[in-house]
Amino acid sequence: MNGWLLAAAVVLAGGVGATLWGVATGPLRRRVVAQNLSSALACPILLLLSQGYDRPSYVDLALVLALLGPVGTLVFARLLADELAGDPPRAWGATWAAAGVGAGVVLALCAATAPGRATVKLLLTGALLIGGNVVASRALAGGFRGVRRG
Amino acid sequence: MADALIAVALLLVAVSATVAVVTRDPVRQALVLAVLGIVLAVLFTVLQAPDVGLSQLAVGSALTPLLLLLTVRKVRRRAQDRDGGR
Amino acid sequence: MRPRTALPVLGEYLAWWTALALLWLVLVSTVDVLELVVGAGTAALAALAARAARRAVTGR
Repeated sequence: MNGWLLAAAVVLAGGVGATLWGVATGPLRRRVVAQNLSSALACPILLLLSQGYDRPSYVDLALVLALLGPVGTLVFARLLADELAGDPPRAWGATWAAAGVGAGVVLALCAATAPGRATVKLLLTGALLIGGNVVASRALAGGFRGVRRG
Repeated sequence: MADALIAVALLLVAVSATVAVVTRDPVRQALVLAVLGIVLAVLFTVLQAPDVGLSQLAVGSALTPLLLLLTVRKVRRRAQDRDGGR
Repeated sequence: MRPRTALPVLGEYLAWWTALALLWLVLVSTVDVLELVVGAGTAALAALAARAARRAVTGR
């Protein structure tokens, strides 16, 4: 019984399952938020899988997702700006909850691995994950409307 | 434990792919496809194929939605121009 | 280019190079001589791009 894999399965079934429900039903503003949350939750899952399978090179997947997930959300925020402008989606509770999951997973993995370059890589992934998702949520909520025409 | 993970990931992929097929509006379909790409990447990782998962992440999370939304925007603009010129 | 403008430019380039070379050092799986040489070269190229991008964003 591997606790890391169990945690990954729980987050996958609970978190990503819930975002799948959110992206499949409801108004457009809820679907955009659910898509953002799915990438924010998949990144800790990939980190947990890397630890569970004992393959440090799998961290690269989480690193790439932490970079590209917010990019995908920014694509939606930019190209759907007109649809979202009237009623901008604000989901700061869910955003910070997902960021908390990411921070908890990164800190647990840092505690489990020997300190060294791998720790720095994990912390870098966590910083990219949380920072990227906060920026993406702010873009969805219309926080960067001033630079939209830039 | 690994079997349970594979089962959960496969189930999520099946559900999200079905939702992507059922959704009619291309914009909402792009959102579902982005989630499908991420779930597929997790499935590939669970099946011990991280290289495939890496390319799936690169294509599925940002590139596919970008292409779809740009196409939708261009088609809509062309339709507006045609209606305006009539 | 006069020395008065060349010095800040060189300083910024070296700062970018140091940061990017450190990033490479953190992200590679094994540290050996070949990795260090390739990393230093890549960081030199990427520092040029980073400075160009910074100038494009701030407009100076």
